[in-house]
Amino acid sequence: MTMEAKTHSIDISALQRQKQSLRMEDETIALTVRDLELYYGEKRALHGVSMDIPKNRVTAFIGPSGCGKSTLLRCFNRMNDLVDSCRIEGQMSLYGNNIYERGVDVADLRRRVGMVFQKPNPFPKSIYENVAYGLRIQGIKKKRLIDETVEWALKSAALWDEVKDRLHESALGLSGGQQQRLVIARTIAVKPEVLLLDEPASALDPISTLKIEELINELKKDFTIVIVTHNMQQAARVSDYTAFMYMGDLIEFGVTDNLFTNPEKKQTEDYITGRYG
Amino acid sequence: MNISVREWFKTGSPWVWMNAGAVAICIIMVIGLLGLIAVRGLSHFWPADVIQGTYTQNGETRSIAGEVVETSEVLTKQLVEAGINISEDKEFSTRHLLKIGNRDVYGSDFTWILEDFFSNQSQPEMLFTAERREWGNLYGYLRTIKESGTEIARHDGNDKSAEYLSLWDNLESRIQRALDIREDILQIEKHEIGSINYELERLRLKERSLQLKNVTEAAPFAEIEQRRKELDDEYEGLQQRLLDLYTEINRDSITAEVANGKVVEIQIAKIVRAFRPNDMSVAQKSLHYIAKIWEFVSDDPREANTEGGIFPAIFGTVMMVMLMSLLVTPFGVVAAVYLREYAKQGFVTRVIRIAVNNLAGVPSIVYGVFGLGFFVYFLGGNIDDLFFPEAKPAPTFGTPGLMWASLTLALLTVPVVIVATEEGLSRIPRAVREGSLALGATKFETLMKVVLPMASPAMMTGVILAIARAAGEVAPLMLVGVVKLAPSLPLDGNYPFIHLDQKFMHLGFHIFDVGFQSPNVEAARPLVYATALLLVAVIALLNMSAIAIRNHLREKYKALEM
Repeated sequence: MTMEAKTHSIDISALQRQKQSLRMEDETIALTVRDLELYYGEKRALHGVSMDIPKNRVTAFIGPSGCGKSTLLRCFNRMNDLVDSCRIEGQMSLYGNNIYERGVDVADLRRRVGMVFQKPNPFPKSIYENVAYGLRIQGIKKKRLIDETVEWALKSAALWDEVKDRLHESALGLSGGQQQRLVIARTIAVKPEVLLLDEPASALDPISTLKIEELINELKKDFTIVIVTHNMQQAARVSDYTAFMYMGDLIEFGVTDNLFTNPEKKQTEDYITGRYG
Repeated sequence: MNISVREWFKTGSPWVWMNAGAVAICIIMVIGLLGLIAVRGLSHFWPADVIQGTYTQNGETRSIAGEVVETSEVLTKQLVEAGINISEDKEFSTRHLLKIGNRDVYGSDFTWILEDFFSNQSQPEMLFTAERREWGNLYGYLRTIKESGTEIARHDGNDKSAEYLSLWDNLESRIQRALDIREDILQIEKHEIGSINYELERLRLKERSLQLKNVTEAAPFAEIEQRRKELDDEYEGLQQRLLDLYTEINRDSITAEVANGKVVEIQIAKIVRAFRPNDMSVAQKSLHYIAKIWEFVSDDPREANTEGGIFPAIFGTVMMVMLMSLLVTPFGVVAAVYLREYAKQGFVTRVIRIAVNNLAGVPSIVYGVFGLGFFVYFLGGNIDDLFFPEAKPAPTFGTPGLMWASLTLALLTVPVVIVATEEGLSRIPRAVREGSLALGATKFETLMKVVLPMASPAMMTGVILAIARAAGEVAPLMLVGVVKLAPSLPLDGNYPFIHLDQKFMHLGFHIFDVGFQSPNVEAARPLVYATALLLVAVIALLNMSAIAIRNHLREKYKALEM
């Protein structure tokens, strides 16, 4: 089946990405998931998910609302621990270390696996203090080190030029798009190994969305990125690998180009061609 | 345009009218209340004209002078029945309550007079009022000034003349001199002798505690004895100076002729101020008025709280409320944080919450009883046993005092702070908490660095409500530490500066005491209003400062609109 024969609406050819052919076999694996089952009380939300997330690549989770993609994402940094009724079975490891083992320092795990949320959530502090927050939590006191890291993080998040003159003003005065980039800067300031993005652009306008997408492309040099998105074009534009989930099951997982051009499963094809979801 | 009543009801206008009416009634009531106490309280300090005249009733004639305090109408019939000879032509007769002063001469300060019997009214310019430290006001004409018992100046007329005025100036300079000496005496008595006494008491306690510990060496005792001797010598010196000052202050006296012709002699040292109200211009009266109000808010009370100021009560109220806020805020916040953030939400937390809410409805006197039984007798008694055995059998903390009053009120207001803080914590967006946790902060760090600062305006709301409730509370305080007259302020220059074990005065209790426990009801009544006005002002001030802090915090952490 050729690309032209497909009838779905996603214009793969528009993607300005390097056309290197990706193969899972060549990748270093950052996160492994094995037979992960997650229950909210009695309700099973994830049904035995297994996958490998490659290092320094962008992996996208797509699927209709309620399919469990955000839930799965929140497992990577144990955010689901905050939900009282949540129970997890199976295995999930970061570079071979089981993150659900007893005695794992959750705070340290979350420092290594950073997360950006759907809605920008800056703290009611200055721009500078927002970015410095994670560093201060780690007990870093040296002002020069903090200054440098804040600058680096804001530059990496493509926000530096816009805010360098008002670092000590409240972060709440920024626009939604700027706030989201600030939150990304805040997250990468602690130099995590993995960056989880939970629909980072869904509350933003198209221009801000574009900026965030460019940013993701830049950041994958340094970080392993996992992104949840509703927007299939976005997944196609930014990701190297894509996982399609449906009703708590991982239906298909593979190189993004292949998944969008040549899905193996009927359900995937139906979804990306807009037949449901 | 004609619309039916039905349609008019549908538009909602009657509803709006009703709501607006309710608001209007509330505002009118508040303004009326404040207006009444302000007018009644503040007019007391104005130097009213003194009238003099002849009063004839049932054939008896006497000359009286005084200030009109109150005027009312009475049924003439009633007066006749009381045995007063008055014609029953008019149904009502006017009568005045006259403050005639001179309690030492007449036996009482006030008398009711019927207008019909009062003739030859005049406002003599030379009639003077002297506020005294004992026996209330004196109204009369100045006759002589004496120095060490010998007369040095005299004038017998009642009219404005150069001689009278020079006599008057002489009196005024002597009053000023006496006031200056008095200040020195107070400085010595209150501060210098006061601190010597305080240190002597501490030495006694130290000695006693050494005895209790069975210390046998002589050195520490000798040291104490040595210091005591020094203090005693110092005391002797001060005593001598005091004696000299007292001789000085008691040197001068005056004689004055009161309305009924009797001449009384009083020492100038006993006069607080003397003035001739009928001869004062409006500007002079205004100055006098301001001075009186200043005296009221800055001075100690005199004459069983019916004269002088109420500064110790203001100070006690403010100090107690601040101490209460300091105790209740951390306590309430910590409890709310546990309930909302750490405790597993379920049946038990729900029961606790209901209990906390109900606690806010317990009558305050019940807290007073609890405070007396638990804090004062149990806690205080045990503290005395453990830490102050040397002072026994006199209690240190085992008696009502500032600390226990503050603690009792803190207990009374803690539900308010808990509820307000919980409300604030529950309004912090989940996203902000998760943002902090996702950066590797622990739950505790998230609480301290993000959640609690953001909830601080809500905590302040709780504190504001707590202050509003605590500052107006009187009933429990009567059991746990408030007194009619405290000998000293709970904050002074003697180590440890804040005396939490001391009893204190309180504006609310002062109102009760002045209004209902005073031997001189008529003299005390205006002070009830004045004190009430001041209490309202103090509470408003305390609340406004708390609100200012809250608004500042709100401005700082206004992320809640997300």
